[in-house]
Order: sequence, then C-alpha cells, then structure tokens
Amino acid sequence: MATSEESAFWTIFSYLIAGLLLWGGVGLLADHLLKTHFLTLLGMAAGMAASLYLIWLRFVKAK
Amino acid sequence: MIKLLEAAQPGFKPPGSGDFIFQPIFGHSLLATKPVVLLFFSVILISTFFIISARKAAVVPSKLQFAGEAVYGFVRDGIGKDVIGEEFQRFVPFLFTIFTFILTNNLFGVIPLMQFPTMSHIGFPVSITIFVYFVYHYVAIKKHGLGKYLKDMCFMPGIPKPMYILLAPLEFLTYFAIRPLTLAMRLFGNMFAGHLLLMLFTLGGEYLLGSAWFLKIFSAISFSLAVGLSFFEMGIQCLQAYIFTLLVALYIAGALADEH
Repeated sequence: MATSEESAFWTIFSYLIAGLLLWGGVGLLADHLLKTHFLTLLGMAAGMAASLYLIWLRFVKAK
Repeated sequence: MIKLLEAAQPGFKPPGSGDFIFQPIFGHSLLATKPVVLLFFSVILISTFFIISARKAAVVPSKLQFAGEAVYGFVRDGIGKDVIGEEFQRFVPFLFTIFTFILTNNLFGVIPLMQFPTMSHIGFPVSITIFVYFVYHYVAIKKHGLGKYLKDMCFMPGIPKPMYILLAPLEFLTYFAIRPLTLAMRLFGNMFAGHLLLMLFTLGGEYLLGSAWFLKIFSAISFSLAVGLSFFEMGIQCLQAYIFTLLVALYIAGALADEH
C-alpha cells in the first residue's frame, strides 16, 4: 500500500470514530439531562455526517 | 454463566485472553513477568547488536556492520527521508529506535522458547504512543506556535462559518485522541490476534493428539498449520513494525507541514 493511502486510511477511520463518539456522546448527555431518548441517535447521525463531510473536504475536494 | 458452561463442558478448552496473563517468573513483583523480562531483553539485544555492528565501522563493512547499516538505511531513507523530507535527519534516531524496538519485540512472538509478542499487552504500544504523541505535538507547537497550530488544525478554510461548531471539536478530538489511539490499538490488536491464532492451532493439535486414532490425522494438520501460520505471523510482525514507524513519520511530517 502506498504511503499516502495508508495515512489516509487511518485518518478517515479516526474521523469516523471521532464523529460517532463526540456527537453521539453529546447526544447521550443531552438525553440524560433532558430525559429524552432520541438525541443520542440524532447526535450519532449528525457526527457521522460531519465526519463524512470533513473526509470529503480533505480527501476528495482537496485533490 | 460462561464460567459455568466452561466448568460443565469437558474437552478442549480454547485459549483466551487469560493466556496473556503471566505470573512473575521470580519473586512477587509485577516487573518480573514474562512480557517485562522480554522487553528488557530486547533492549539489551538491540543495544548489543548495534554497538557491535557499529564499533569497528570500516569503509569495507563486515557482515555484521552491513546488516546493521541495512536496517538503519531502510529506516533513514525508506521512512524518514521519503516521508518527512527536508528536516528528516533529526528524527531518524527516534524513528530508528521505535522501528527496531517494535520489530524485535514483535518477532519474539515466533522465536521458539520466547513465543510471546510483547506488544500483545496493550500497555506497551500505549507507552510508545505516548512518546510519539508528545514528540509530534511538541514539534508542531514549536514550529507554528500553539495558537496557529490549533487554528490550522480545527478551522479548515473554505467552510461556511456555522459548520465550525460541528466540525472544530471533531477535528480536535480526531487529532488529539483518536488518531494516536488507533496507532496503539492496531499494533496491539494485530499482535494479540496473531498470538491467539498460533496458540489455538498449537493447543488444538496437542488436544487432538490425545484423542481417538482417526483424530490424530487432524492433529498433524493443526500442527502444520501452526508452523505455516508462524511464518505468516513473522510477515505481519515485520509489517506492523514498519507501518507503526511509517505512521509516526507521517504524523511528524504533518506537524511540520505548513497546513494540515
């Protein structure tokens, strides 16, 4: 595997995990505080979308 | 529940994470367990090898000097120079240490009698990653200043402003936590899984050898698979040491670059 691909692979992977954890976590916290049940899922979806957007910006659009 | 099932079922007991926990070889100190002893042994081994190979450095190299220089040259040119570029020279010792250290400790996994890759204990890859973490953030902060470094990292140009609320924390978390974490996890995971696989085929072969006669045939298959997989593992162990060092070099290169 080429050097840049190897690096890109792990960066993309990290972005996806970070998106899920961060905004999913914020959603979980909000759910806990507001006593609701849908914000975790919403947060995870938003985090995933944000991650994909960033990945698109860095790896697709930049080229 | 699982404990009950295990106790209730006679027969083959597959290897598990419990097989990665060792009692101290001597005394009661946690510093005397097999992984730690192997770790110290690897340091002695690497130091001895490279001191001897470099001691009588000559223009026409001896075989030992040639071997030592080949490894050094590989890290310096293949990883350092190619990835980091201009300023690579001052990072070569760091990369070289990481590479030889991980490689030796990984290879312990297939060397008879030792047969345990030190890096299959999560603590060791994490410790190396902590070093790497400080090095590449230090390099970046020294070069760009803390403010500019964080700004470049978290605020990509060309995005509508409100998006930063969603994206900036994400970038921060990725670069400060998740990316270094994947570095350690991958090395650990590969070594752990590889060792488990080898144990499974070896213990399986041993168990089948003690059972009915027609199962003894499969014992031979299991043992030969264990041997075959050992060679396969050796490849993985070298590759993982290489990839770890390569990614460290890439992180340093990223820290030195003008923008991310």
